[in-house]
Amino acid sequence: MRRLPRYVRVGLLGGFIIIYLTAVGMIAAFHERNIITGVVQFSVVLMTLVYMAAGYLAARAPKGGSPPLRPTRDALIAGAVGGVLVGVFVILMTVLADAGYTPRDMFIAITPATLDILSFDQGTYLSLPVQAVLGAVLGLAGGYLSTATPNVRSTVTRAISATLIGALGAPLFSVMMAGLGIPSRWLFRSEGLTIVGTVFVVGVTLLLRWYLLRAGGVRNALDRVPGVTRKNVNVVTWAVVGVVLAVLPWIVNTFVSDVLGTVGLYILLGLGLNIVVGYAGLLDLGYVAFYAVGAYSVAVLTARSSFLVGADVTNLAPDGFMNFWVAIPLTIVIAVIIGVLIGAPVLRLRGDYLAIVTLGFGEIIRTLVLSDWLKPYLGGPQGITEIPSVPVGPFNARDPRILYYLILGFVLVSYFVSTRLKYARIGRAWAAMREDEDVAEGMGISVIKYKILAFVMGAAVGCLGGAFFAAKLSVANPGSFTLLVSINVLAVVVLGGMGSIPGVVVGSLVLVGLPELLREFGEFRLHIYGIILVAIMVFKPEGLFPDARRARELRGEATVKEPVPALAGAAE
Amino acid sequence: MTSVETAARSYRVLLERLPVRRIILVILSLVIAYGVIAGTVATLQTGRFTAEDWVDLFVAGVARGSVYAIIALGYTLVYGILFIINFAHGEVFMSGTFTAFFVAHALADQGLLNTYPVPALILLFVVSALVSMSIAVILERVAYRPLRGAPRLVPLITAIGASLFLQYTFRGFYGAQAKAYPNIDILQGNVPVAGFTIQRAQILVVAGAIILWLALYLVIERTRIGRAMRAVGEDREIAALMGIDVDRTIVSTFAIGGALAGAAGILFVQLFNSVFFFMGFFPGIKAFTAAVLGGIGSITGAALGGLVLGILEAVGPILFLTGIGVPSPNQLQPVVSFGILVLVLIFRPGGILGAPEEKRA
Repeated sequence: MRRLPRYVRVGLLGGFIIIYLTAVGMIAAFHERNIITGVVQFSVVLMTLVYMAAGYLAARAPKGGSPPLRPTRDALIAGAVGGVLVGVFVILMTVLADAGYTPRDMFIAITPATLDILSFDQGTYLSLPVQAVLGAVLGLAGGYLSTATPNVRSTVTRAISATLIGALGAPLFSVMMAGLGIPSRWLFRSEGLTIVGTVFVVGVTLLLRWYLLRAGGVRNALDRVPGVTRKNVNVVTWAVVGVVLAVLPWIVNTFVSDVLGTVGLYILLGLGLNIVVGYAGLLDLGYVAFYAVGAYSVAVLTARSSFLVGADVTNLAPDGFMNFWVAIPLTIVIAVIIGVLIGAPVLRLRGDYLAIVTLGFGEIIRTLVLSDWLKPYLGGPQGITEIPSVPVGPFNARDPRILYYLILGFVLVSYFVSTRLKYARIGRAWAAMREDEDVAEGMGISVIKYKILAFVMGAAVGCLGGAFFAAKLSVANPGSFTLLVSINVLAVVVLGGMGSIPGVVVGSLVLVGLPELLREFGEFRLHIYGIILVAIMVFKPEGLFPDARRARELRGEATVKEPVPALAGAAE
Repeated sequence: MTSVETAARSYRVLLERLPVRRIILVILSLVIAYGVIAGTVATLQTGRFTAEDWVDLFVAGVARGSVYAIIALGYTLVYGILFIINFAHGEVFMSGTFTAFFVAHALADQGLLNTYPVPALILLFVVSALVSMSIAVILERVAYRPLRGAPRLVPLITAIGASLFLQYTFRGFYGAQAKAYPNIDILQGNVPVAGFTIQRAQILVVAGAIILWLALYLVIERTRIGRAMRAVGEDREIAALMGIDVDRTIVSTFAIGGALAGAAGILFVQLFNSVFFFMGFFPGIKAFTAAVLGGIGSITGAALGGLVLGILEAVGPILFLTGIGVPSPNQLQPVVSFGILVLVLIFRPGGILGAPEEKRA
């Protein structure tokens, strides 16, 4: 492999990526999704991006090497090599199928229909030239981008991203425009942009770019407007955010409101886990345990089928044991007690052991809840049903809009508390502890006490999230409390940036909100989470919206302890 | 200072010095000891299970434990050299089972699986081990190597990401349903051993595990690469100075661990006969438990831990819980295995064979 020129290797890698995407079913699934309606589907965009990336990389200097002498040629060849590989794959699969070895018997995603997508309906044998030409052209485009000036490059990438955002968000945007009474037929059609819409989006992006480039950035452009100071820009921004948050449920439909509620719940959970992982640096993989404790506590305390009121599913009591608002503080007390009970023995463990132990606790709680043993109390696999909705005066909290405001309220409180905690004495103690436990101990910080504090606070917030979750769905069953919830929340925190509070919000919107809205992605959500977790940690460990201190820590540590360069070859 | 203040003060001091952790631990161990003893006595008194039942459970435990032991070797090897938990190792194992499924079906379609069972099994072992090995090596290259020297939690997070990625890759390839693994005729049925009947598949699994373990032991103790691995585990910098190619040694470690996981995958499907994209998670985490139980970093410990865990898991719930009156105790099996993990880490993080855990940076 090393003997091959770099551009060939990059091209082959690109081809393999496209074959991989085909084999796991992404190409077929994303072909259902229009970007420019009737012209370009998301599957095609994926291929385009892979070929362009191949060309881009081929025309670029490798890490620690010199730039290629003929970048344009390299980019072209890289794209073409990738295309040829994909074409050969299509032909091979068809030949195998003709010979009686149907590939889809084993690899369920490699269907004739999928292969037709790869050959652009030109028939199997034309797929080779079609893909090769496509790859070459796009590789060339990628190579051009890589050698272009930064201005051109960022303009092009922004135009592409704007089109993608517009098209992928089409269902959401059209609902919002309908809610505001703006006609949207000219812009969006069947979940994609129309041709006119594409021209419009690209045009607006280019105009904006041109204006901002001339003005020298957003800040400068704003400074030039008379009467605008940085302070009132901030005030206006916050006011706009506030108004949008307040009216949002009324300009979208109930489905989107419901999604917003879910996003809110994840923000809440993320803020809780952020205290544990981000502030205190304790990796808790069993966060779902507290979520479950919250949900089940509220369920047992308020449901009409709870054993506390001597009822069961077939024989409902007239009322639950207590009101939701009375149950909440009690639930939090329960979470705190369980948090201390779990935390006190295990928090002394080293970081990675702690992660596994918490994971174990999460599974223990789930198994217990699922078991026949506790079935009379917790309902076994069916869980507890008939949980009343949150009583909010005269309103009906089953309405996702009311629930949205409730969750929003709690999110704002947690947001505020998290922010204050971070800069308080306790937050600084956590930061010290996270950076170096021994030094922190030496400075008089009781490490174990602060660890338990962080763990318990995270537990309390997670439990609150669980309580709302139960009241939102009106059931609490073990199926909702799998390890994947812990991983989802962890992904939210990691994507946004560990320790960063706005990061949690962004992370939830991207990882929880987007997949709910883009149903084609639903099946691949965890697949993509996996890629994101690895990519973020490898390329940008501080996350998308980094916390300044944490970023320095992650970067700094990564550079201080460079691996020892091996005396390669000396062993032979 | 009044006497009330002094009293309040000394009370506060007392409260602050109160060894909360130790108290919780003592109570915890007492409760568990009481539960285990009382449960065992009560269960044995009911007389619901015959000696034959216990032997069956025990043998099933040994067979399962041998699979755990072989997977645990992968954790132990990587931990011994890099001091990270290769959390995605369970998925490497899963890839082995899926490869076995793929090859076995291809062979079964041609009728080769039952006409030439021994060469077929060997082929299965080789292909699965190769696939798992490649996945482990790619994993190291993509998810771990760029992060060497980063804070400990970082590789753990990438490992979780890699786990998800591998699980859903195989789900995408082969579908979300559990698939039946074709039976091999010569492995069906029982064999009488010392008055008890034992399934043939269980014998194959235990024998296979012993061979694999011995092979690994010889590789580590007798070969050049084994010596390099031990040296790098001891002190990476010195090993590099002694002319050992550290990167290559680490890759070999992953490769050996991956190949073992692939082989363990085949043993596992002989016992359970079905494959599923999420199946790597529980065996993975249990094998990790086994590695910790035996003393992580030690190959003998991995074998010992695997066996102990397998037996406890198979016999434990029924033995401890039936007597207390818990219905369907086998449902609580994960509680037993995770409980063991938690308890070992709390009371003896070094494991059965390891020294008490020293703090490592």
